[in-house]
Amino acid sequence: MTTALAKTSAEEALGISLPHRRMEEWRWTDLRARLAKPYAPIESAAKASDIDRLLSTSPFAKLVRHRVVFVNGKFDAGRSKLVGPDFSATVASRHTVEDPLIAMNTSLKPDGVTLRFAGQTAELVEIVHVAVATVQAMAIRNRIEVADGASASVIETFVGEGDYVVNAVTEISVGKGAKLDRLKIEREAAVATHLSHVIYDLGENAKLNDITLTNGSTLNRQNGTCNFHGQYAEAKISGAYLLKGKQHADTALVINHAVPHCVSRELFKIVLDENARGIFQGKVVVARDAQKTDGKQSSHALLLSEYAEFDAKPELEIYADDVVCGHGATAGDINHDHMFYLKSRGIPEAEAKSLLIAAFVGEVFDLVADEAAQAALVEIAAEWLVKT
Amino acid sequence: MLKIENLHVKLEDENREILKGLSLTVKPGEVHAIMGPNGSGKSTLSYVLAGREGYEVTEGSVTYNGEDMLALEPHQRAAKGLFLAFQYPIEIPGVQTMQFLKVAINAQRKARGEKELSIPEFMRFVKERAAKLNISQDMLKRPVNVGFSGGEKKRAEILQMAVLEPSLCVLDETDSGLDIDALKVVSDGVNALRSPERAMIVITHYQRLLEHIVPDFVHVLSGGRIVKSGGKELALELEANGYADYAEKAA
Repeated sequence: MTTALAKTSAEEALGISLPHRRMEEWRWTDLRARLAKPYAPIESAAKASDIDRLLSTSPFAKLVRHRVVFVNGKFDAGRSKLVGPDFSATVASRHTVEDPLIAMNTSLKPDGVTLRFAGQTAELVEIVHVAVATVQAMAIRNRIEVADGASASVIETFVGEGDYVVNAVTEISVGKGAKLDRLKIEREAAVATHLSHVIYDLGENAKLNDITLTNGSTLNRQNGTCNFHGQYAEAKISGAYLLKGKQHADTALVINHAVPHCVSRELFKIVLDENARGIFQGKVVVARDAQKTDGKQSSHALLLSEYAEFDAKPELEIYADDVVCGHGATAGDINHDHMFYLKSRGIPEAEAKSLLIAAFVGEVFDLVADEAAQAALVEIAAEWLVKT
Repeated sequence: MLKIENLHVKLEDENREILKGLSLTVKPGEVHAIMGPNGSGKSTLSYVLAGREGYEVTEGSVTYNGEDMLALEPHQRAAKGLFLAFQYPIEIPGVQTMQFLKVAINAQRKARGEKELSIPEFMRFVKERAAKLNISQDMLKRPVNVGFSGGEKKRAEILQMAVLEPSLCVLDETDSGLDIDALKVVSDGVNALRSPERAMIVITHYQRLLEHIVPDFVHVLSGGRIVKSGGKELALELEANGYADYAEKAA
């Protein structure tokens, strides 16, 4: 028996039902309570000077030649610059995943682009989402396709100012023997809400290296669904959180090992200061036929304050009998022996602490293939630490 | 230079006194060996000098060049010239050795009001010293002490000492876990740093190390205080007779 819940102001304004806490995968993130304003999918006009200023704050502003720009959820052809990949400014959705965030995205009539990569593309392509809005909801649905044997490197950046909700769905298809490096940077406005769902479909021998840095917004929920469609594919999905104040970030990943001989690696390094809360929910499903699956998942939190909280929920559902699967989760404060060693060499407390935090998240940044992009991440972390 | 007077130390979370009235004076250029059985307080002395948390000084004083050392934070003591070579050097994943050395040397220079080293100056400075200690470029690129063998860790400690150029070196059981070849490399590294301005306190259980690093003075630490002091011949006497005599005295 289910009891209908009274519609919240946000649900009224959006014309949808938000997930509630009685749903197991939403137990830690109360979207109904946290979206306390009537965020509506109206369009608000942003000043050109604000947009350009925010665009320049992307850590990749000077790094990329190819750029797809969205402003308040709408594709901005004038500010975009793309000469390489096959590109269309249309939403081309092909997934079959059922999820409340995707349903919300659909009902908000998302704008989006489709990027198709054929051949070897070494150059970074950045999709930048800029928001300058007041009590607005916006939805984006992008599709990234890497053709058989092709390779690509894509960055999705989210920056903004004001009070808004972004719902971004990204569909990713990596073909046979293809390779995709994807980097996502979430640096939304301080009071914004960031919701997303990424769907990864991997072909035989495909290689995915996906890294997300979660640093902005007050409320963040990122879902991911990774499906293996062909054998011998490899998915590395990693993330780093740098959160403080009352920031809340919840990642829920599902890896579906439907076929044999695939490898999945999940590594999340979570730094929480003040009253911040970080959550990692990782589910690995290994189908009965998916023999020789190799799946490893780990999430580690560094708690810089006694008020910070980390919740981890690893779930393994294994129906095959010849697999190697494991998970691990840890939470702790700064290692006192490490601190003493650094201080005994003349390094002051604050500097020693920064060095250790940078080293902690550095394990995820080290996975970024592009050196310049990696340096940009290190810089974001250093800048965050100075303000901490 | 260093003056320890009637030092009493207990563990913060236990009511057990470990140092019970230790006094020691060290002058520039001198090498003092402190020998003693397990549990006599040797490592406690080194940690209290370096400022590790968990110890409480209940009585006595430590002054360094006239300044109350116990009032300073560990990093301030380092900037004043104190260096502790750890018995068990700490592994720090994710912090590259070269970066660690650079941050440390520049933090100390800054604290002393000196100019920070430029990157080429620093690189040259470290490479020269690393070569003398058989430390490869590869080791310098690795995270601090991570995956280093026992000998490599001790050599890395001496490299840090050579780079930071302290005025007082405290070597805590630097010989433990070293084979004879590694002991020679480490001892040569230490001896190369002996100078009329620099003092050393060499803490060890065995006389073996003192054949390589020859001390000016030898002290026997037992039951939390120095029970006998002498010249380097005292170490040989201890080697022959053991610590039994002193353990009784302390009891």
